[in-house]
Amino acid sequence: MTDEMVRAEAVHKSFGSLEVLKGVDLVVRPGEVSCVLGPSGSGKSTFLRCINHLEKINAGRIFVDGDLMGYRERGGKLHELKEKDVAAQRRSIGMVFQRFNLFPHMTVMQNVMEAPCRVKKENKAEVRDRAVALLERVGLGAKVENYPGQLSGGQQQRVAIARALAMRPKLMLFDEPTSALDPELVGEVLDVMKDLARDGMTMIVVTHEIGFAREVGDSLIFMDGGVVVEQGPPREVLSNPQQERTKAFLSKVL
Amino acid sequence: MSDQDTTGRARPEAIKAVPVRHPGRWLAIAVLAVLTAMFVHLLVTNDQFRWSFMFSSYEPGKRGVMFTEPVLEGLRGTILLTVSSMLIGVVLGVVIAVMRLSDNPILSWVAWIYTWFFRAVPRLVLAILFGNLNILWDRIGFGLPFDQQIGKLFGIDDLNAQFYSVKASDLLAGFVAGMLALGLSEAAYMAEIVRAGIQSIDPGQTEAAVALGLSRGQVLRRVVLPQAMRVIVPPTGNEVIAMVKDTSLVAFVPVTYELFFQLNAIKARTFVVLPVLVAAVIWYLIICSVLMVAQFFVERHFGKGYGAAGKARQKLQGIAAEQGGVASYQGPASGPGGAGI
Repeated sequence: MTDEMVRAEAVHKSFGSLEVLKGVDLVVRPGEVSCVLGPSGSGKSTFLRCINHLEKINAGRIFVDGDLMGYRERGGKLHELKEKDVAAQRRSIGMVFQRFNLFPHMTVMQNVMEAPCRVKKENKAEVRDRAVALLERVGLGAKVENYPGQLSGGQQQRVAIARALAMRPKLMLFDEPTSALDPELVGEVLDVMKDLARDGMTMIVVTHEIGFAREVGDSLIFMDGGVVVEQGPPREVLSNPQQERTKAFLSKVL
Repeated sequence: MSDQDTTGRARPEAIKAVPVRHPGRWLAIAVLAVLTAMFVHLLVTNDQFRWSFMFSSYEPGKRGVMFTEPVLEGLRGTILLTVSSMLIGVVLGVVIAVMRLSDNPILSWVAWIYTWFFRAVPRLVLAILFGNLNILWDRIGFGLPFDQQIGKLFGIDDLNAQFYSVKASDLLAGFVAGMLALGLSEAAYMAEIVRAGIQSIDPGQTEAAVALGLSRGQVLRRVVLPQAMRVIVPPTGNEVIAMVKDTSLVAFVPVTYELFFQLNAIKARTFVVLPVLVAAVIWYLIICSVLMVAQFFVERHFGKGYGAAGKARQKLQGIAAEQGGVASYQGPASGPGGAGI
């Protein structure tokens, strides 16, 4: 293990002629919780999706635990990785989506067991035990045989977190995990994430929850217009922002 | 809790109003009753139907025309042809749909060409075309292409590099030709149905599966297709029923092992026209009725938990589970069918 879990160097990403990321640099150390803040359209979700290669970047490099994501560098040339190798890289990166994206035709249990059984070909009984433990940890031990459509949004998101954890990831990416939830359900999901952070999981969290960032975050990254405008310890950035754009944004959301 | 407890007022008397009259409905019923009576009168009293010819004996000592050996044989052929050409259609259709949605432009283009060709040519024309396709070859087999031309290049006459071959008119005729014509044509339609089904699934599903490390094949088999089935099954049911009827086209291949061909032959031999045609109508009605029942059950299976009623039931159970803590509710009664493929 290197002492850098994620290293992004000058990441650029365009959709057609629209340049969404214009040179993002970031380092996340193992066990750190980084919260990414910023107005919509600032490229924060896109950046998160670049980390596990759901989006191909146009320039720059992204390393996760020392591995170059999506490419192999040989003789000064970049070679695209085969799909199978990209999938292997993704196994150790968990991702939680804004819209949960649980598989509606599978029970909660099947959702959590699917990837360990199919991708890692692990022993079914072991996976089942682990899945039960994970679901109990997120407070859903009683819902294992339910279908996602029978759960509230907060419950679904907690299942989605358990599903990602079942692959024993070394890094967790959260893409606005509470933005699609009713206000009274936000707390239960944040509690699970806090618990995860206390356990030493490395996390990158794109969020609008300033309170969560202040309480749990080790660093806060403020993005706007496709670049990192400001970063530092959350309390400092939140109470004493140095950049005008950060000040303007915080004055609207605080 | 009753109303009295909450409001402290007595419940008012239930409404007993005179319902609105619908004279139009009664008129319509009367007209339809008369028409139905006329139709039944026609069936019962008109001798031209010759029901005994159809059901009991069309020649002394023989069964009715509907149940004679050649007709039953033809019925078996029609069912076999429907099943086999639908199998070709569904399997090839899924392959072509996946090709069409592929990132590879060549695959996608080939799939488009296939669909374009087989949707443009009428099935009747295809059936006749496939029946005569064996004119192109003497023998059909596996071997090196251009073997004779290459042989001539090196001064060898009649170089034969065919490993295995059969006479074309044996292989590509009759039943096989009809099955290929219908099956390949069906694949074009099925491809479009499957493509619509796959595209109806939220891309977030694929994203979540890919982020977990599932391969493209696993995403399709485990996540996308089982959900797409809900959209794919109803139009596929229509296709099966359409196929039952289209099997009558293979009479032009010609295929003799087919229901309508057999009935037609009896018509030509006995000069009894109407009863034979009505017999065909009745057989097609029976097959399609059976299929419609089957379709109902298949649709119900894949639609579990998704319909408006299913959703409401799920909500109720969810609420009940939240309040009462029903520990392990078992899904099968109303959950989305977990059966998949």
